[in-house]
Amino acid sequence: MPEQLKVNGGAYQVDVPVGWTLAETLRDELGLTGTKIACGEGHCGACTVQLDGVPTLACITLVHTVSGREVTTIEGLRHHPLVDAFVRADALQCGFCTPGQIVSAAALVEASPRPSRDEIRHAMAGNLCRCGAYPKIEEAIEMVSRHSASEEAS
Amino acid sequence: MELLRAESAEAARAALGNGSVALAGGTELVPLLRDGIVRAERLVELRSAVPRGISDTGVGSASSSIVIGAGTSLAELEVDPQVPDALREACRLAASPQLRSAGTIGGNLLQATRCWYWRLEFPCYLHGGDRCHAREGVHSEHAIFGNERCASAHPSDPAAALVALGARLQTTHRELPLTDLYRLPTDDDRNVTALAPDELILELDVPSPQRSVYLKAMDRRRWAFPLVGVAAARFAEGSRLALAGVAPIPWALDGEGALDQATPLPGTAYKAEIARALVRRALASLQ
Amino acid sequence: MARLIRTEKEVEGRYTEQWIVVEEDALDQWPAGPLEVVGRDATRTDGLERARGEARYTADIQLPGMLHAAVLRSPHARARLTSLDLAPALAAPGVRAALSPGEIEQLTREPGYMGAPVAAVAADTFREARAALELIDAGWEELEPLLDPDEAVARGSFVSDPSRYERGDLERGLAEADVVVEAEYRTQTVLHNSMESHQAVCAWEGDSLTVYISTQYIWGVRDDVADQLGLPPDKVRVVCNFMGGGFGSKNGPGDYTFIAAELARRTGRPVRCALTRREENLATGNRNATIQRLKVGARSDGTLTALGGDFVNAVGFRGWSPSTGGPMQMLYACDNVRIVEHGAKLNTPPNAAFRAPGFVEGTFGLECLMDELAAKLDVDPLELRRRNYAHSDLVDGRPFSSKNLAECYRRAEPHWERRKEVQARSEGSWKRGVGLASQVWYGGGGPPSYAWVRVGSDGHAAVITAMQDIGTGSRTAMAQIAAEELGLSVDRVEVSLGDSARGPFASISAGSSTIPSMGPAVRAAAADAASQIIEIAAQRYHLEERVLSLKSGHIVSADGGSWPLEEITGLLGDGQILGKGARGPNPAGMRTLTFGVQVAEVAVDVETGEVRVDRIAAIHDVGRVINPLGASSQVEGGIIQGIGHTLSEQRLIDPGTGRVLTQTLDAYKLPTIADVPEIVTELIDEPDAHLTNLGAKGLGEPPIIPTSAAIANAIRDATGADVRSLPISREEMLRALREARERERRAPVGAAAS
Repeated sequence: MPEQLKVNGGAYQVDVPVGWTLAETLRDELGLTGTKIACGEGHCGACTVQLDGVPTLACITLVHTVSGREVTTIEGLRHHPLVDAFVRADALQCGFCTPGQIVSAAALVEASPRPSRDEIRHAMAGNLCRCGAYPKIEEAIEMVSRHSASEEAS
Repeated sequence: MELLRAESAEAARAALGNGSVALAGGTELVPLLRDGIVRAERLVELRSAVPRGISDTGVGSASSSIVIGAGTSLAELEVDPQVPDALREACRLAASPQLRSAGTIGGNLLQATRCWYWRLEFPCYLHGGDRCHAREGVHSEHAIFGNERCASAHPSDPAAALVALGARLQTTHRELPLTDLYRLPTDDDRNVTALAPDELILELDVPSPQRSVYLKAMDRRRWAFPLVGVAAARFAEGSRLALAGVAPIPWALDGEGALDQATPLPGTAYKAEIARALVRRALASLQ
Repeated sequence: MARLIRTEKEVEGRYTEQWIVVEEDALDQWPAGPLEVVGRDATRTDGLERARGEARYTADIQLPGMLHAAVLRSPHARARLTSLDLAPALAAPGVRAALSPGEIEQLTREPGYMGAPVAAVAADTFREARAALELIDAGWEELEPLLDPDEAVARGSFVSDPSRYERGDLERGLAEADVVVEAEYRTQTVLHNSMESHQAVCAWEGDSLTVYISTQYIWGVRDDVADQLGLPPDKVRVVCNFMGGGFGSKNGPGDYTFIAAELARRTGRPVRCALTRREENLATGNRNATIQRLKVGARSDGTLTALGGDFVNAVGFRGWSPSTGGPMQMLYACDNVRIVEHGAKLNTPPNAAFRAPGFVEGTFGLECLMDELAAKLDVDPLELRRRNYAHSDLVDGRPFSSKNLAECYRRAEPHWERRKEVQARSEGSWKRGVGLASQVWYGGGGPPSYAWVRVGSDGHAAVITAMQDIGTGSRTAMAQIAAEELGLSVDRVEVSLGDSARGPFASISAGSSTIPSMGPAVRAAAADAASQIIEIAAQRYHLEERVLSLKSGHIVSADGGSWPLEEITGLLGDGQILGKGARGPNPAGMRTLTFGVQVAEVAVDVETGEVRVDRIAAIHDVGRVINPLGASSQVEGGIIQGIGHTLSEQRLIDPGTGRVLTQTLDAYKLPTIADVPEIVTELIDEPDAHLTNLGAKGLGEPPIIPTSAAIANAIRDATGADVRSLPISREEMLRALREARERERRAPVGAAAS
C-alpha cells in the first residue's frame, strides 16, 4: 500500500505492506539507519522519532498511520545543539540508544527550554541506556538549557 | 492485512467485527498483532473517528464533571488542569513518555494484562485453557483479589483512578458506569471487558471530586506497571477507593476494611501489605 | 627484542599458564599525574558519529543481495525432537535456504534449555524469515527439566568439577573466634541486554569469509570461526567498527555467526543473523544466580579468624563456574579460609561473563556478612575492614604490583562520616542510612597485543590496531596515549580499529583489559615513531638525538630550539614514519589487582518496602587514569548496572516448565534515568610502578562490584533489616523488615543483638 511520508522536511513515496512499522520503513526503505531498533516492541525508546514534534516509538508505529504528519529522525537533528552537548558531556557510551535519547531530549527542550532535573527525568524515562550514561545525559540537557538561558539573558 | 481510516464513529462501528480490529494509539495492539495474540485481516484506524480532547460540562459547580474524548492521549490528560488529580497522577505515572503520548485513554481502559504466562501464550485460563499457570508458577506481580480462576493483574493506572472517580462511559451502543465495563473471566467467557466486538468507547464522563489522589508502588521510579496503585476520591456523598494491579480488573474497594477480604497467593502477600499502607495514606490525604 | 617466557594469563579471573613471546617494554613510565593529554578530560573522538546516528553498527550493515536469517529456538527447557519438517518453510515466500539439526554443530535435536537453536531459515526479508519459522512443523517429546541448583548439586549435575580452595584450618579458626556469623545469601540471574542485540553478517568471496559482528573480541571470533569452518585464519576477516554494548556477553562468535556463515555459503549471498530482544534474553548468556552459604569468625577486636563459603553457581546448561568465592579468598587477611564452588548444570540458558562475573555476586555475600559481623561485634564497618587489610596476596604470598585500598578507605571517610546526619534525616516511614563495601578484582591485562603508528608528511598520526571499542571509549584513550607520546593534540591522531584485515592482533575487550593491554602497545608504537622522527630531525638540524623531544606539535631541543613537526615530516613527501609497538610482559612474581570502596546512602519506606538510592560515592584504585571524563562515565555506568542488579532486575523462570518468563523489557526492569542517584567518583590516579610503560589498570568492571553490598548495608543501617537476597524487591524488603521486627520482639529490650 503506497504511503506519502514527510521526513526531515522531505517528501517520500514508499510502497510497503500494511503492518510495516515506521522504524522498519525508515531504516530499510529510506536508509535512515540513525533510528535504531533495540527491542522492537515499544519498551526501550531506541527507535524514538518525533511525529509533529512529539517523541514517538517508531518500532510500534505502523507506517500507514503517519500520513500528513511530519517525521523527524536523528538525521534531521544533526545540527541540534544537543548533539554537541552529548559529546561534550560524554553522555554516550556505546551510542546505540543515543539517537533516540537526543530525539526525546530535543522535544523536551523545545517544549520546556529550562527543564528542572525532575522534568528531565520524567521526560527521558522512556529511553533506556544499558551503559548507564544517564547522569551525563541529564548534564547534556542542562548544558543546552543553560546555554539557551544565557542567550536569552544577553 | 489492510487499513481502513474510519472518518466517523459510525463508519468505524460498521467496519468492526469479522476480522477487523480497532486501532487507536497502537501501543498495545501493534505488539500483540506481531506476536499473533491478536489476529486481524483489517485494521480500522480510529484517529478521525473517536473524539479527542477534554471539555468542561459547563456547570461550574462542585458537582460538575468533565467529558474526555476516548481518543485523548494520556500525555494530554497528564497536564490538563481540568482533570482531577487522581487521574492526572495516574496518567503521569503510567508507562513511558512515548507510550503516554501515543496511547489513548480509551485504549488504556481496554489494555490486556502484563501476566507473562498470558503474554507468552501459555494455554492459560485467560486464553481459554483450564488453569491459571501463574497461581502455581511465578506470580510476584499478580492478583490479591478476584484471583480464584485467573491471577492476572490489570495494569491500568488510569482505570483505577476513573473507577474511584465514578466515571461513566459513552460507547457507540450505550452509556454505562465504568465499573460495568469490567468483569472477571468466567468459564463461559474469558473476557475481562464487556464490550461488544463492534462497540467503541467514545467519551468518558468524569465527575469532579472535592479531592482525589493516586498513589503507586512500582519496581522502578518510572516506566513500570503498578504492583499496587491506589486511587481515592472524595465527593460530598462520600469517598471511593479503587486499586490497580491487584486483580484481573480494576478493583473497586469498599473501604479500607475490604482489604481483609484479599486472597493473596504466597508470592503476592506483600502486595496486600503495600495496599494497606497506600490506602491509609490515600484516605489521609483526602482529608 | 622478542623474548619467550612462560607466564600466567588472566581473563575475567581465570588464569591459564602459557608460553608467550613478548617484546621488552623498554620505556620508562611517564610521571604521575595529568600530563599534556593523558590524564586530562577528552571527549570521544567518535562521539559525533555516534550522536548523529551516522556510526555504522553491525545492525546497520546493508550488503547488496543480503538475506536475513531467523532461528527456530526450542520452546522447551528439555526436550527431544521427534519430527521436523522444513518443507513448508522452504516453500514460503522469499525463503532461500534452511538448516536443520546436524547440518551445523550449533543446531540441536535435543535442546537442554529454552532458546537453544534448532533450525534456521534465510529469506529476502527478516519478516519473511520470521513468518517461515511459523510454518516449520516440529514434534517434541518433552522431558523433565532440572531447574533447582541445590538439587543439581545433590545429584552431581555439574558443568565442571567442584572447585575447592583452602588455606589454614577453618575449624581451628572458628574455634578461635569470639563471634561467629553464619548466613545464606542469594543472587538472581541477570541479563546483559546490550542495546544492540547479538548479530553477525557473513559474506563469502571465494573461499574467504568476511564476518561483520557485534563483538568484544575480533580475534577470538576470527580464530573460532576459522577453526570450526576449517579455514586458515587469514581467510576470515572480522569487522566491528562500532559496537552497541556487550558487558561480557559478546566474547565469542555465538550460534548466529555460524548460522549466517552456513546460510551464506549455501545461497551465495550475504546473510544477516540478528537476534530479537526476546532471543537476546534467552540465548546469549546471563549472570548466573548463586546461593552462598557463608560463615565468618572473628575475635572481639575484629580480627578475622575464619572465612568459609559454600557457593552454588546456577550455571545453566553450559557455561563455566565463575569464581564467586574469589572475593573471600582475596579481599581480607584471614589465615583460615575454606571455599567450595559448585557449578550446577541445569536446564536453563547458559551463563556468560557479565561485568566481573563471580565477584559481583561474591562481594554481595562477603561484604554483607562483614557488616553483619560488624554489628555483632559493635565495631565500625570501615574500621573492621581496615583491621583485616591484606598487605600481600594471600592466595600465593606474592606482593601486589600496587595497592592503594588504604587510600581509598581514607578518601571514603568524609562520605562515611555523613552517616549520622543521613540517619537523622529519617522521617516518618522513611528511614535513612549509609553503607559501604570494598572491592577487589583483576584488571591488569597482559600480552600479547600490538599496535602500529603511522605519521604522514602532514604531521598527523594514525594508530592502527585491530582492537574494538565496545562503548567504553577505548578508541579515545588510544588517541590520547599516542598524542601524548608524539607531542600532538588528540585531534591530530586518528585511531583505525575494528578490522582484523587492517591491523595487528589486539586484546579482547573483557576483563577490564583493553587499556592495560592495548595502551602500552600503542604507547610503544608511538614512541617508536617518535624516535624515528627525532632521528630524522637530528640529522636535519645537526643536533644529537638525546637533546630532542616532541612537544605541542613541535620538535624541541634542550637548548630552546623549536621547529614545527611538519618541518620534518614534510620532508617525507609520500614517505611515512611507521612505528611498531607491543605489550610487554606483566611484572614477574607479582599480583596485579584493582581495588575500591563505595559508600551508599539510601532511604527505605518501611511501610511499602520502597528503596531509594540517594547517593553513591565511588573511590577506586585502577592505577593511572588516561581519561578522567571517560573514566567517570565507566564508573557511573557500572554503578547504575549495579543498582539494577540490586533493586529491579531479575530473570524469572517458570518452575514447572523451565521457560523464561521475562523476555521483554517491560518485564525485565532495567534502571531508567529516574532511578539514578547522585554519583560521586574519585579515582586515586596513582600509576602502578611495576605495570607496563603506563601503570594503568582497567576500570570497566570494578565499579559494579561493591554496589549491591553497599546498598544492602545501607539498608541495614537504615532499618536494621538484613536483606540477603537480590534483587531487593518490595517483597524481599518487606520480608526482611518483618524478620527484623520479629527478632526485636523476641529480644529483651536493651539486650545486645547477639
